Formats: sequence, structure tokens, C-alpha cells
Amino acid sequence: MTPEELAKHLNETGLFERDEVAHGELSMWASRDGWVAGAEHLKECGRCRFDFFTFISAVDLEDEGFEVVCHLYSVRRQHHINYKTLLPRTEPRLRTLKGLWLGADWGERETHELFGIDFDGHGDLRKLLLPDEFEGFPLRKDFLLMSREIKEWPGLKEPEEVK
Amino acid sequence: MGLVDRFDLPQPAKFLLNWGRKYSLWVMNFGLACCAIELIAASTSRHDFIRLGVIPVAHGPRQADLLVVAGTLTDKMAPALKRVYEQMPEPKYVISFGSCSNCGGPFWDSYSVTKGVDQIVPVDVYVPGCPPRPEALLEGILMLQDMIGKESLKERFERRDATEPKAQPIVVGGGPIFQTQIEDE
Repeated sequence: MTPEELAKHLNETGLFERDEVAHGELSMWASRDGWVAGAEHLKECGRCRFDFFTFISAVDLEDEGFEVVCHLYSVRRQHHINYKTLLPRTEPRLRTLKGLWLGADWGERETHELFGIDFDGHGDLRKLLLPDEFEGFPLRKDFLLMSREIKEWPGLKEPEEVK
Repeated sequence: MGLVDRFDLPQPAKFLLNWGRKYSLWVMNFGLACCAIELIAASTSRHDFIRLGVIPVAHGPRQADLLVVAGTLTDKMAPALKRVYEQMPEPKYVISFGSCSNCGGPFWDSYSVTKGVDQIVPVDVYVPGCPPRPEALLEGILMLQDMIGKESLKERFERRDATEPKAQPIVVGGGPIFQTQIEDE
């Protein structure tokens, strides 16, 4: 299905909050409570059939919270979707997708250690990439980089500064 | 170890022993990132460091004389590097290959990268570059062999036992080494 057809079909289910097609790719947002229900539909529905869990990560949007991004692909239908949800900064927790796709296991562990997002029902959120004694969530925007505290970033920070 | 670490041998004997050692460097390849590709290129037929007597792919750290750290060392990997270094028999040498292993390179502000392998193991030769060309490694090896040819094993072992810093390390292409000094108040 094309992204537009897929968006139309998914909006009819009423499980999703918002959609966006950009660069030929479809993004669908679910609410936090509807996260697993939406994922279940994406996997089980015959027209979606997202059988391959590519990866999960998050984006720190500072005041808006954390946006969890989940890339799904259908080997059967050959289409792709970015499945997203927005979490408040004060309480970043979400249900796990481990029960639907086993591939979510390590991805959620990684998202947990790098962004500090708790996945309820995962049950095994040990550190995956960082050393065991590491403290803090390094991919959050408010994480302090000690080297940067000593020496400022020598280059430009924003694309607008490039003239 | 034996006589060589307790007595300064007569010059001809020292020359012969050092000559034997410097042209038979079994190298432990500690390739961690893209620099490892350059290291492998240096070992294959075009650049061919075997003609300098450097033998790639030691069977393990216990059979190696030279450790080449090529690539980005992370804090999680650092204990493994220390372990490999400690398993190597004396006399052993370390080449730090590439910006990442020299000082952290482009990851100077990272939360997970070790800013220089010299924090973990003592380094004899620094090869700068990102990544350095295989020729830079060849030059580093030649400089190391030059150093091995001139050194006295007695002094080397004395320095090791006294846990003193090594002799001034070599930088391929020249240039100073800035050592971070923490000043007491």
C-alpha cells in the first residue's frame, strides 16, 4: 500500500491520534494507553501485516517530552511505517512491545538506558551498551557532557548560523 | 627473567639480541573501528608490513610482542584492552593507531569513549590521522624498530619495576605530546 492508502485505512480504525506523510514515509501517532492496541492492529491486520520490527528509539523534544519512534516493516506487503507516541517528561513510561515482536526486547533495553524510558512489562531492563556503573541517561538533552563543560563546542551549533 | 634484565650486556651481544627482536614483532591486532581496516591494509600485499618483520595475527596475546590499538576505545571495552595488555609477555610494545585511540578523536566530548588509550596502557608510538594511511603505520613500525634496536633491556625492566613512565613516546610525523597535569592547590 502507498503511505496515503495506509494512512486512510489506519485512520478508519480509530486507534491512532494523528498521521503525517513526509519524504514518502508514513508516521502514525498513538496515545500512550493505545500504544499496544495500535501495535497489535499493525501486526495482525491483514492489510498492514507489519511482521518485521526494525528498531525502536526516542527523540528528546525537551519541553514537549519524549517521542518514542518505532520503525516497522512488512516483508509480506513491502511497506513501512514510523509508529510514534509522545510521553510526558515527568513520567516517561510505556507498555512493552516484547510480546508482539521479540525484536523489541533489546531495542527497549537500549531506549531505557539511553533515554530513561521505562517499559512496563518488559521485566529485564538491564543495561545493554553502557558500562554497568554508568549513571544518567546520555541521550537526553539535559545530560551534562564533562568534556563540554570544560571546553565549549568549537564549531557552529545551529544550521541558521551558517552563512 | 634472566641475565638480560639484570646486567647490561656487551654491545655486540645487545645488538644481536635487539636485532633479533626488532625484526620479529608478532602483532596483536586490537582493531576497534575503521582504523582497523587501514591496519589490515597495511598487513596485506600492497603495503605488506611482513617485509619489515611484523607478523600479523598472533595466536593470542600471550604470543604477541606488539599491540596495535586501532580505533575507538570505549569505557566498556577498556577493561578488555587492559586484560589483553597484561597477558602479553615482556618486552611488549604498544602502537596507538589513529586519532580515536590517541585522544578520543572526533568523539572528544562523548559520554562513552575513552579519551586516549594511554590512560589504560602505556603507549610507545602514536600514529596520528583519521584514519592514518597504512604508510603512517609503516613509519611508526620503523620508528619503533629503531627504538628497540637502541634500547637496553636492563633499563627497560628497571623502569617497569619502578613503575616509572616510559621513555618519551614517539609521534609519527613529529609534534609534541601534551600531557595533562593536575596541579595541586
